[in-house]
Amino acid sequence: MDLLAQILANGLLLGGLYAVMALGLALVWGVLNIVNLAHGAFIMLGAYLSWYLYTDAGIDPFLGLPITAAVMFGVGYALQRGLLNLVVRAPMFNTLLITFGLEVILTYLAQLVFSADFRTINPPYAGDSWQLGPVTLPVARFFAFVVAIVLTIGMWLFLLHTQLGRAIRATAQNLIAARLYGVEPRHLYAMTFGIGLALASAAGGLYGTVSQVNPYIGASLTAKSFAISIIGGLDNPLGVLVGGLFLGVVEALTTLYIGPTFADVASLGVLLLVLVVKPSGLLGRTA
Amino acid sequence: MKPVRALLVLAALALLAAVPWLGSDTLIQFGINTLLLAVLAQGWNIIGGYTGYASFGNSVFYGLGSYGVAIAMVQWHLPFAVGLVFGVGLGIVFACSLGVAVLRLRGHYFAIATLALAQVMTAIVSNIGLAGQNVGLVLPPLNNDRLFYELALGLLVLATLTVWGLTRSRFGFGLIAIRENEEGAAVMGIDTTLYKVLAFNLAGIFSALAGGIHAYWITFLDPESAFDISLNVKMIIMAVFGGPGTVLGPIVGAFSLSAISELLSSNVTSVAGLFFGAVIVAAIVLMPRGLADIVRNVPKTGWRYFRQNIRAHRL
Repeated sequence: MDLLAQILANGLLLGGLYAVMALGLALVWGVLNIVNLAHGAFIMLGAYLSWYLYTDAGIDPFLGLPITAAVMFGVGYALQRGLLNLVVRAPMFNTLLITFGLEVILTYLAQLVFSADFRTINPPYAGDSWQLGPVTLPVARFFAFVVAIVLTIGMWLFLLHTQLGRAIRATAQNLIAARLYGVEPRHLYAMTFGIGLALASAAGGLYGTVSQVNPYIGASLTAKSFAISIIGGLDNPLGVLVGGLFLGVVEALTTLYIGPTFADVASLGVLLLVLVVKPSGLLGRTA
Repeated sequence: MKPVRALLVLAALALLAAVPWLGSDTLIQFGINTLLLAVLAQGWNIIGGYTGYASFGNSVFYGLGSYGVAIAMVQWHLPFAVGLVFGVGLGIVFACSLGVAVLRLRGHYFAIATLALAQVMTAIVSNIGLAGQNVGLVLPPLNNDRLFYELALGLLVLATLTVWGLTRSRFGFGLIAIRENEEGAAVMGIDTTLYKVLAFNLAGIFSALAGGIHAYWITFLDPESAFDISLNVKMIIMAVFGGPGTVLGPIVGAFSLSAISELLSSNVTSVAGLFFGAVIVAAIVLMPRGLADIVRNVPKTGWRYFRQNIRAHRL
């Protein structure tokens, strides 16, 4: 029973992180109708940025998150404005392929610049943990979880209550009507993509503190983010949070009862099952 | 087909067939790889180019074909041909059982579901004892590159003839109708589910055969390389670069991209991968309908062709 409680706690902690990973993907997908296959690669870049900030400048990975997020927001804005806006009205397959091309470019660039070595961000509290009854909570993972929850709820409030958030939701619902109300889509799309990448880089920084980073983690992180978006739906960050926690727990239970090699199979199996049984997503609208 | 064009194609084919007797060993090996990639691109063309279903799961067929040959030859000591048939059988079972479920999805959902299938297959096969688990299988070597080359060429010809046949058959028109408007196709009396599953099968058979030939040629396979997703991406890029939904486009795409990437990787390895990414990005922006469309339109419109492509899709 203690083991089960521990596994569930691990799954929930991991699930919070998964939710932040998927948040940016779901936002960009819902508003721009682009499934960003390079999303995982941007998470990877965010992780490396955090790693360099910590290793070379001594900035704590959690305090460094706003810096990496700001940098990646700029990258995302420029990328959408300069490149992706050129193909955004093309058939869905083209946008899928172009983001895949970006993924390939980023992965190889990372391999050239950062080398293929595994890296971990190791702040002094990395090995610490708290004891909560029968359950051990690693401090770094717990921080990552808290930041993830704060980011998700912050995202939710931002979309509900700010002018930019309302403009983003309006554009997701109906581009033409939003335009008539004075939304400039080129700028708004770029803002949205920028926010998506800022979230990706935050997820990357958190990921780097709890797991190992190398240039090739992108693809599987994209797949996970996609699965979570499908489960949670695209129009509500809270749905994504539920999806992330759900996937974290499923993976943790699979690792315990079936075997660690099947953790990825479990998440993708859940994805396939959801797609086949209820293609509109488990919670709410998906596309 | 016009007689001049037919003659040109025949001449090119004769030249290709003669390569093993003219070229060096390196050229033959490069040729086998390129021909097999062209087969994969052509197979993807059936489901992705003509039917409009962007499959990221064709590498599963390739892997099943490889494992079909490997299991038959290593574990059961059967001849190569039986292994090929076994691999194709595995592919058909996969296409019929999972294809029916997955082909109900459209657009992004289909693409990602097939991507997920490809990853799941890697994990499943690495846990099957008969398939050698993580370690993989070593096949009996057969040092006859000429034979493998001609086999690959024959397979490519067969695939291309099939696609050519599609473009003038009721079945092929049905697939194109599904690509253009699936509801419309259903209203016109096309059994869309049956057509899609058949197209998926057809694409799968060629991919499985290519995988089988490759496995026997390389004489070694493991789950990672057999179900390599980047292979699937390669075939898509080649088909899209050459011109999806055309008979010769995927072949031209496979040949030209393989040649460029070979030249680059013999000089600078790490840049070869970067180049692939850059080509995809540039191709999607400037020539979303591939080389075939350029050949058709650039003589008429010149450089304006690229500007028009951008204008058509930008925000």
